[in-house]
Amino acid sequence: MKKIALILALVMIASLCMSAMAEENILVTWWGNQTRNERTHAALELYASEHEGISFTEVPNSWDDYWKKVAADIQGDSIDVMQMDYQYLNQYSENGLLLDLTPYVESGALKIDDVNEGIVGSGKVGDGLYAICIGVNAPALLYNKTLLDENGIEVKDNMTLDEFLALSREIFEKTGYKTNIGYGTDMVFGYILRGYDIDLFKDGKLNITAEDAEKFFSLYETGITEGWLVTSDVFAETAVGTVEQDPMIYGSDPESMSWCAFFWSNQVTAMQNAAPEGMEVGITTWPSADPVKSNYLKPSQFFSVAAKTQHADTAVDIVNFWTNSVEANEILLGERGIPASAATAAGIADKLDEVNQKVVAYINDVVSPNCSAVPAADPAGASEFYNLVDELQEELCYGMTTAADAAARLIDECPANLK
Amino acid sequence: MAQTGVVKPKRTLAEKLNEEHIAGMICTAPFTIGFLLFMIVPMLISAYYAFCDFDILSPAVWTGLANFKTMFSEAKFWKSLGVTFYFAFVSVPLRLVFALIVALILLRTTKITALYRAVYYLPSIIGGSVAVAILWKRMFGNDGTVNVLLRMLGFEGKIKWFGQPGTAMWTLIILAVWQFGSSMLIFLSALKQIPASLYEAGEIDGANKVQQFFRITLPLLTPTIFFNLVMQMINGFLAFTQCYIITQGKPMNSTLFYTVYMYQQSFEFYKAGYGAALAWVMLVVIAMFTGLLFATKRFWVYEDKR
Repeated sequence: MKKIALILALVMIASLCMSAMAEENILVTWWGNQTRNERTHAALELYASEHEGISFTEVPNSWDDYWKKVAADIQGDSIDVMQMDYQYLNQYSENGLLLDLTPYVESGALKIDDVNEGIVGSGKVGDGLYAICIGVNAPALLYNKTLLDENGIEVKDNMTLDEFLALSREIFEKTGYKTNIGYGTDMVFGYILRGYDIDLFKDGKLNITAEDAEKFFSLYETGITEGWLVTSDVFAETAVGTVEQDPMIYGSDPESMSWCAFFWSNQVTAMQNAAPEGMEVGITTWPSADPVKSNYLKPSQFFSVAAKTQHADTAVDIVNFWTNSVEANEILLGERGIPASAATAAGIADKLDEVNQKVVAYINDVVSPNCSAVPAADPAGASEFYNLVDELQEELCYGMTTAADAAARLIDECPANLK
Repeated sequence: MAQTGVVKPKRTLAEKLNEEHIAGMICTAPFTIGFLLFMIVPMLISAYYAFCDFDILSPAVWTGLANFKTMFSEAKFWKSLGVTFYFAFVSVPLRLVFALIVALILLRTTKITALYRAVYYLPSIIGGSVAVAILWKRMFGNDGTVNVLLRMLGFEGKIKWFGQPGTAMWTLIILAVWQFGSSMLIFLSALKQIPASLYEAGEIDGANKVQQFFRITLPLLTPTIFFNLVMQMINGFLAFTQCYIITQGKPMNSTLFYTVYMYQQSFEFYKAGYGAALAWVMLVVIAMFTGLLFATKRFWVYEDKR
């Protein structure tokens, strides 16, 4: 009996020693898609192979689920490095949940000399630097280029809304494919309004009238009346917002599919990978009454370090690795967007495949010369507001309401803290 | 018996531990501690949050009854409550009827009934799982098995099961009815306990099978039906996975279960205080319905007064 107890005690002590010597485990969490998950995993493997004693716990998720899970997780100390979005940066940093990276920049542990100052600034809140941009993007209308080529239909960049509507009609008549006007893509709403010189939010409050909102909802109404809008039941079946189940590539007949998808420039790769064999994905701007006023470059993908991390130095080093390591970015290949560091971006330029070169060209030649400043980050409560927009779109699709009525209700039922 | 003057014999630790109430407490400790830590403490915290404005990220701020006031003026709250009632009140009776019918069929013991019992019980083990929910979504999809089968039977066109408010709800109800296994097992064991002598007596008095069922089986089953009804009703009110995975409340919130509404408010809109308030209102609703069922008990549930 005593012998067993002694052995047990020894085993316990041994295992304690083992865990004390054990490697540092870093939890990295991000949202994304299959392509991103694979590349992020490979880049983290590269880091682990270069640094002995470091292992990773990877927690990928879809955009929707990501923010639900992170909000709870970050209260503990499990998260080390997390992907951050421009829309959530204020909320998270103001609540003291993110580590201020300024000291690490000063000490040289985090090198951002090659990053454009404006892009660095997008990760600043007040005096602190809470996020490092790891990819620059722009809104991008992805479309089924193969389908349009086969039917001799051409898409031009910087389309106006009228041109877009005309195109949708033409495609519907010639091919039977319908159009999805960014259902579930939150930023489309504000983007369309920017074309009329209207800012959706101002000083943390909703800044539009019912008349403004109707400009957006009337697009839906037109599409439904004329029959070329993807009906809502398609979205009842799929995970809205995921590349893999977007009606542009997911579905079996034109009636439930769209020729285009309102996404972001960095999602072209994932969309191309998820698309059926032989479908070429094209890229152009979201339509707007005035594309130059609407469009913007968005430093959308960031890495942040959680304030409560137990491994701050390593976590910061990983962010540094992501920003500056050309080898790492040769794996990532701009999947999150064009690398923020000019040196890194130049380093991988000739490694990019055809698809990514198309994206770089789109950012540099199409968007950069024809855009305005990025809109201010959305106030807290915006996600509830966008959810209301989705619900009203849904009712429009079912013919339960009119554009004018939906617009009035949007203003009326808007979340209290935005009024 | 006078204790004075009697010196208590010294007891060893082992003897003390063997005392009934101490042994009992030690043996239940793993559950008790778990229950206190992971049920009672979170419940108390949630009761506090119900009166707060709490966005998960920043500290909670006391707002009194504000959450409850917004709740009762919110159309979506009433909508989700209505949807949940509809789901529970339709799916639970249907499920119990199914469970009883299958239990009656499987009552006869032949070589193969054991297998059938296991097979029919399976759905209720896996029925609440994510995997089955995804399977369901595929089955009722536009190009799903159900539509393909219908086409083979000669129906033209595709039925958009999830696309119409009427049918979307029924896909969830059918899934719930399909999980009748656990109620079935309880019915089975209750059926076996009905004394054969009663049926023999009935037969002698000239009662046919149908009369036997309504005069003997059903009355003697009422305690079991009552138990199943209460348990399944509570389950019905708390259903989450099916809705969250399959319909996400679509279309137009016609399948928005109360729990999913609560989850959406708490974790999607970061209104966890409001979510906590919703949870407590649901507790009250469940308590009310359970109380109501218990109040009607004496009118229809058979009690053995011997």
